[in-house]
Amino acid sequence: MQLRRIIFGVCTVAAALAGCETPSESQHAFELSDAAQGSTPSGKAAVITPDRARNLASGCFACHGPNGRSPGYIPSLTTLSAADIAAKLKRFKNDEVSSTIMGRQAKGYSDAEIDAIARYIANLKR
Amino acid sequence: MHRINRRDFLRFAGASVGALAIVSPARAAQSARVMVIGGGFGGVTCARYLKVFDPTLEVMLIEPEPQFVTGPASNYVLGGFRALRRITLNYDALQTKYGITLIHDLVISINAAKKTVTLKNGKRLSYDRLVVSPGVDFSWGAIKYYDPASANAMPHAWKAGPQTTLLRKKLEAMRNGGRFLIVAPANPYRCPPGPYERASLVAYYLKRHKPRSKIIILDAKDDFPKKDLFMDGWNKFYPGMIEWVPGAQGGKARSVNVHKLVVDTELDRFKGDVVNVIPPQNAGRIAYVADLVNDSGWCPVEARTFESKKQKGVYVIGDAAIAGDMPKSAFAANSQAKIAAAAIVSELQGRTPAEPLLLSTCYSLLAPDYGISIAGVYRATADGIKLVPGSGGVSPREANLDFRAEEAKYAIGWYASITADGWG
Repeated sequence: MQLRRIIFGVCTVAAALAGCETPSESQHAFELSDAAQGSTPSGKAAVITPDRARNLASGCFACHGPNGRSPGYIPSLTTLSAADIAAKLKRFKNDEVSSTIMGRQAKGYSDAEIDAIARYIANLKR
Repeated sequence: MHRINRRDFLRFAGASVGALAIVSPARAAQSARVMVIGGGFGGVTCARYLKVFDPTLEVMLIEPEPQFVTGPASNYVLGGFRALRRITLNYDALQTKYGITLIHDLVISINAAKKTVTLKNGKRLSYDRLVVSPGVDFSWGAIKYYDPASANAMPHAWKAGPQTTLLRKKLEAMRNGGRFLIVAPANPYRCPPGPYERASLVAYYLKRHKPRSKIIILDAKDDFPKKDLFMDGWNKFYPGMIEWVPGAQGGKARSVNVHKLVVDTELDRFKGDVVNVIPPQNAGRIAYVADLVNDSGWCPVEARTFESKKQKGVYVIGDAAIAGDMPKSAFAANSQAKIAAAAIVSELQGRTPAEPLLLSTCYSLLAPDYGISIAGVYRATADGIKLVPGSGGVSPREANLDFRAEEAKYAIGWYASITADGWG
């Protein structure tokens, strides 16, 4: 069932970024590698702050369920590692794996955003 | 119904003796209060995520109705394969599990300068930030003689609930060989693929129970989302049953006669046995009350935060907002709700709101086991909210039945997830 491997999503938010810095220390964040997609209206490269990683990941809940726990047919995200999530999303993005919709979604994200989403989801309290 | 905390009690007490005309909303030592008006997809998701992003916030949700019937999946009710109670949600979990204060009342006025909201019961509540998620109202009279009373004879069923049941009953009572008219509006309106999913699923019902019947879509537009996919599906499952009359061929409705069940378009007169009028729309009432609407009938907002361009400290999300390339969909409302919640929390905590990324996906069923989708990923630009080039788009036209069946399952799964993401 290739199509059922359409995974990715997200989790809660109240949870701390386990293993990461505290929010006050972490404002430095990382530069977006794909500046074209992550550029701000002012032209400056967007940085992926903890707020932004959380917001990006929260978008995934609409389909994959609150906290990445799907109540229905769409796969849950709660068992995936950061490496799994990032690798799957990049394969969707690059059409290296077939999907119904994840390819269309993943093409909207830079690789740096994908990495931030993957880290955020995998670090949520389960 | 809701808890009255001490400061409201004092405020009402003061107001009752006429001594307290102005109450400062500044609450240095207290948590900030964010008020959300409207308990649809946008409002509940925003209330919920405000609490997720900052559990110390006091979050109030104001919604007059005790239950919400979803627009998404309401065409399944018309198709006869889902009961209305299965698309009816309540607000219990928001109160008991997520600590949101529910106020079941109607907002009468909003004073954005004083940051107060007045309810129909006479109470006045203050806020630090206000989110307005009013959905749509119908532009009554835009189609001549189509007024609120007409909706009994010609249901809109575009706000789900009793109207959905009414339209379903009329379809059940229609004779075999009858003609079902759907009047579809010009852009923008709520749920762009909705009229065409409706035609499909009513055809699904009629094909099995009244196979000589016909469906005619009288459209103000010359195009609609997923058009090729819809038409392929209609030819496959319902050949000859659904006729689409675009605006260029005289499809735009000008007036109705509710007694004769007649729709007059720019070129022709159509008589129906059952008539469904999906009227032109504008932002919901509260948006007008709060002076959030511009000449277009919708609410201009900042692309990065969804703060109103007309009223500071007030955020407009969902169908009522002017959100650039985003459709007026439940998914868009969910996505905007999270971005507005995040922006409000950032601002209250003294941080700059993060650059937003927004999403929408709309599934449509053409039959219970045949689904298609349209998706988009969006970013804020200097020119408003724009689709990320190369992202999104529609299901492939050449896909096989397994693919369509899989998307139909995802449509059902999406409904389970997005309603859980809002109502819990």
